[in-house]
Amino acid sequence: MAWKDLVIERRSKETLNALLFFSLALLFVFQFALGPDRERLASVLPGLLWLGFILSGVLGLGRAFLVERENDCWELLLLAPGDKSAIYLGKLAGSLVLMAVVETLVLGLFVVFFDVDLGPALPGLVLVIALGTLGIAAVGTLFAAMTAQVRARELLFPVLLLPVLVPVLLGTVKATEALLLQEPLAAVAHWLKLLVAADVVYLAVGLLTFDVVLEG
Amino acid sequence: MPDNWGFVTAAYAVAAVILGGYWRMLIRKERTVTALRASSGPGTGARAEAEGGVRDDHTSRSRQPSRPGHPRPEPAPRPPLQ
Amino acid sequence: MTTLLGWLAGVALVAGLVMGFGVAPREVSQGNVQRIMYVHVPAVWVAYLAFAVGLAASIAYLAGRRPGADRLAHATCEVGTVFLGINIATGAIWGKPTWGTWWTWDARLTSVAVVFVMFLAYLLLRGAIEDRERGARYAAVLGIVAALNIPLVHFSVYWWRTLHQPPSLLKPGASTMPPVILTALLVNFAALALLGAYFVARRTRVLAAEDEALA
Repeated sequence: MAWKDLVIERRSKETLNALLFFSLALLFVFQFALGPDRERLASVLPGLLWLGFILSGVLGLGRAFLVERENDCWELLLLAPGDKSAIYLGKLAGSLVLMAVVETLVLGLFVVFFDVDLGPALPGLVLVIALGTLGIAAVGTLFAAMTAQVRARELLFPVLLLPVLVPVLLGTVKATEALLLQEPLAAVAHWLKLLVAADVVYLAVGLLTFDVVLEG
Repeated sequence: MPDNWGFVTAAYAVAAVILGGYWRMLIRKERTVTALRASSGPGTGARAEAEGGVRDDHTSRSRQPSRPGHPRPEPAPRPPLQ
Repeated sequence: MTTLLGWLAGVALVAGLVMGFGVAPREVSQGNVQRIMYVHVPAVWVAYLAFAVGLAASIAYLAGRRPGADRLAHATCEVGTVFLGINIATGAIWGKPTWGTWWTWDARLTSVAVVFVMFLAYLLLRGAIEDRERGARYAAVLGIVAALNIPLVHFSVYWWRTLHQPPSLLKPGASTMPPVILTALLVNFAALALLGAYFVARRTRVLAAEDEALA
């Protein structure tokens, strides 16, 4: 499933391109909204970074089941033999790869445009981003399947997803903030534990209930 | 500190309004459903008789609805698509 | 049975008001505005109790697919949201004279607001799906996610607000709560819980009637 999605994506590059341009546009908006004040920019940078990640994530995940829906393949998903949670993991993996690509590029753009020095913070940052992205994608894939057949899906999906992701957002932003201030990883241990706990909960619920969502 | 009785009354009033509003919504829904059943009852007399008298007012319903609205997932595949 | 519950709730509400205004003393530091707590605090307790029941009902529905479980989940999450709304509104009204502002992003207000929005989204989902059975399934899944998320929200918001930052407010009736205040809180909690149970009972009855009517 993940391979299929990646192949489709690589051929069409539709979503990836859109997300990249969206992130670029966000970057410009942030710069214009915040002006040239470097102090203020530095203090809101972690929040902006994750705002960019989450908004791109919402856009990308909202389309997670677009291919199946638009090509009338939804029934095929429902009829697929075997454990439906394999579909969940496949979709999740596909989304993770997509988000990872976008996030890497966005991070790179941030470093360039906002003159950020990542340096020693990078390994910790990668860990935080990985944990956060996993949480976003885990819930996002589940909710994307739920809203795929709903009429107001473009509205309902972010409305469902964003409140649920508040803990992930808080954890990642505070951890990123600390790491960018050159604090050691141990200082953000509690946030990391929270992110891990959230990821475990979201993955577990996703795996256990995806069958239910795909019943029809 | 001053007593701010105005705020106290405001808070309790807001709570009362919210609770009262919800209660009124419940009553309104009950009336709608009763009216719906009253209007469709005589009209679908055959069906009502078949179900053994649908008309009821205040007893809470404990039996399952007659239609299989909540099936458990079946391991057998569904009929193939046309 | 439901009517009896309603009358009990009514009596308990009166008792709660008597406790809150008659028996409980004027609070030392805040003055009489502290009496708002007697509706504000029990409301959130009732809300979370309702969500806990909603979680159990959602799981029960997914396990057994009994429509009664789905109706209970729907009703309790809806009633819980109502009481949470009361908590937020009364909290803001209490906050204005006490802190000088209607709203502040402190730990408790923020986490309650997030939970409130989560369950508003739950009600939105319920409204958005026409198919009865699918709506029940999806709502059950969302209900489970939302309820399990509550502790995560609480911890994240609490740490966000309090670490590296001194707590900016005292909890009302904090460490030394006189027993009479605690009693008043508990009486009001019982009253609001009975009222909540009454609402849930009527709501499930309406839902069952709607199911029948549309069958």
